[in-house]
Amino acid sequence: MVADKTPVGADGAGSSQPPHQDPLDFAAALSRSFAATQDVEATIRQALTRIVELMHVEAGAIFLQDDTGEALVCRACVGPVNVEGLVVPKGQGIVGRSVAEDAVLVVEHAYENAAFYAEADRHTGFVTRSILCAPLTVGSSRIGAVEVLNKANGTIFDDSDQNMLKVIASSAGLAISNARLAARLVEQERLKRELELAAAIQRSLLPRADPDLPIAGFNRPIHEVSGDFYDFFQLPDGIIAFCLGDVSGKGMNAALLMAKTASLFRCLGKTVHDPARLITILNREICDTTSLGMFVTMVVGSYDPATGQLRFANAGHMPPLLKRADHSFETFPAKAPPLGILRDATFETEALSLDGRQFFLYTDGITEFRFGRDEELGVDGLSLMLDNVHGDSLIERVEHVLQELRQAGWQARDDLTLLAIDDALAAPAAGRNTGDGGEPAENGEFLVGFTLLADPSRLKILRPALQAAAMACGFSSEEVHDLVLAATEAVENIMIHAYAGRRDGEITLAMHRLPDGMMVRIRDFAPKVDTAKIQPRSLEEVRPGGLGTHFIRTVMDDATFIPLPDGEGNLLELVKYRASGNRGAKETTGSVSQKPTEGK
Amino acid sequence: MAVGQISEQDGYIVIALDGEIDLETAPAVRKALLENLKKGRNLLIDLAKVSYIDSSGIASLVEGLQVARKQGNDLALVSVSQRAHRVLELARLDKVFTLHADLASALRDRTSGTAST
Repeated sequence: MVADKTPVGADGAGSSQPPHQDPLDFAAALSRSFAATQDVEATIRQALTRIVELMHVEAGAIFLQDDTGEALVCRACVGPVNVEGLVVPKGQGIVGRSVAEDAVLVVEHAYENAAFYAEADRHTGFVTRSILCAPLTVGSSRIGAVEVLNKANGTIFDDSDQNMLKVIASSAGLAISNARLAARLVEQERLKRELELAAAIQRSLLPRADPDLPIAGFNRPIHEVSGDFYDFFQLPDGIIAFCLGDVSGKGMNAALLMAKTASLFRCLGKTVHDPARLITILNREICDTTSLGMFVTMVVGSYDPATGQLRFANAGHMPPLLKRADHSFETFPAKAPPLGILRDATFETEALSLDGRQFFLYTDGITEFRFGRDEELGVDGLSLMLDNVHGDSLIERVEHVLQELRQAGWQARDDLTLLAIDDALAAPAAGRNTGDGGEPAENGEFLVGFTLLADPSRLKILRPALQAAAMACGFSSEEVHDLVLAATEAVENIMIHAYAGRRDGEITLAMHRLPDGMMVRIRDFAPKVDTAKIQPRSLEEVRPGGLGTHFIRTVMDDATFIPLPDGEGNLLELVKYRASGNRGAKETTGSVSQKPTEGK
Repeated sequence: MAVGQISEQDGYIVIALDGEIDLETAPAVRKALLENLKKGRNLLIDLAKVSYIDSSGIASLVEGLQVARKQGNDLALVSVSQRAHRVLELARLDKVFTLHADLASALRDRTSGTAST
């Protein structure tokens, strides 16, 4: 590969010295030895030793340009004095000039040459007589120079010596450059492996998906490592501690702070259960130990699947999102600064009752997800997307959000992280009615609960469920009929009056078995109904309408509107006890206690 | 589905109701009743095949009865099942409507001018 650079007559014919080894052979050997090793320094030194032997000189040195390009540094030297590390300013000395002029220079009497940089000799005591110096070039760039000093037999450097060093220099330059490139690739490969390891460690910090928990999330880094994180784990008392955060900046420093914050949370979260207290400790720790200018936005919280109670503290993070059954949403903007900024910042714990609703935490990577040039997903877009993702499990639903984002052709600009809590999943298992406004179901055993649209065509699906539940509560077939009738009437009232015929409203039912009867809770999310206006019609009046309420009052032993906060819809609790003769009977065995209805 | 066969017998329009009469299906019942009353017809409503009826269905029957009375037509219920009877009873309407055990006795009684419950 250096053949075309070989000067004609490089053999130095006619010289009185011992014949030179063929410089081509030497150059080839040099290239091979460079290629075979990754230790550039050792190879340079070894090569220089051979150059010095080959050229019969007292000393030799290889200078390479430093990182700034402002100076040449001696990287290898052979001879009586060690000048390794010697720095020659750019353009100075023979080496500097050789590099600057891209020329092979011969100096016969060093001390008579103005360019000679005598500093080295002054420090070392070495007496430089003659110098031969050739630049190390790769393509058009000069990376340094190789210099040999004082020909051993006292003769001067002749053309043959010059040609030889020139050939060796061009070969060595290329070899050094290649070796450096290889070393850089190796370094890049090493960094990449380290990044992959870091990413794997980061992934291991994320919680494992647990289909038994009503909480699930995802974290999708835009690069190898993420500055986002989330975590959750269940405490022995069943309460789930959770967090989601976003570290300022990207790259390894953000990833390391993420790892630190996530680890602190996992450790502290086991003993410190108040979100505000926990986040206060985290803030102090991060303020004390993290380099200035870095901060973390984070929500820390705890959720009790048994009661639906959720508590959280928000340190400068995106507002958590509470989804209502009617698909509207509520957000909770942060009232405190991010972690790592103010050591004495105070944080508040906010509490809310999920009542079968869904709670979402997310990073701005999601809401700032872009479609095309200007359009951002935003909180509204996220809310809408959450309404439209379906799946058998919360884990699937959460994954569908990610798929939706991808399929819509949105372009991520940041890490994407989402954490979802669905209280509707926890409520039935905990014997809670998702529509009970957070009131504990103090009596009875939850049988079944479901949600239907305010569409009359759903009634025929509802009735068999009511019927089966009533039968499971031990009612006689007549009582079952009445109970189904009254509960259906209540649902119809919601369809007609509360939702005023709007068929997309949701109605939630929960059926409980009481020791001596059954309780049905029916909830809607329509504007508040003025209960004072709901009166059974006077039966003296023969007119259509108003009958339903009369049926409910007649059939049920108790029909009570449970007050809910404004905007929370209406909750009606219906209770029917088995007829006295039927009390205590576990199964319907045909014992008819009620007055048989008259025949026609 | 809520409104089954509509036939004419001895001067009466016999409207056979079918299945479950609720908020979803009651409008069809109401329509069938009012359309025939508009023509000034006497109606017999056959509830033999009604498996379920709630206030919406009852309200349609009540409305039909009111229109019939106002315009001097006859409207009676036939083959009221135990379930349907229970609902009429709950509405205290079991004495307001004229009920007949079956179509044959209804036609016999109505055409001879005597009603039975």
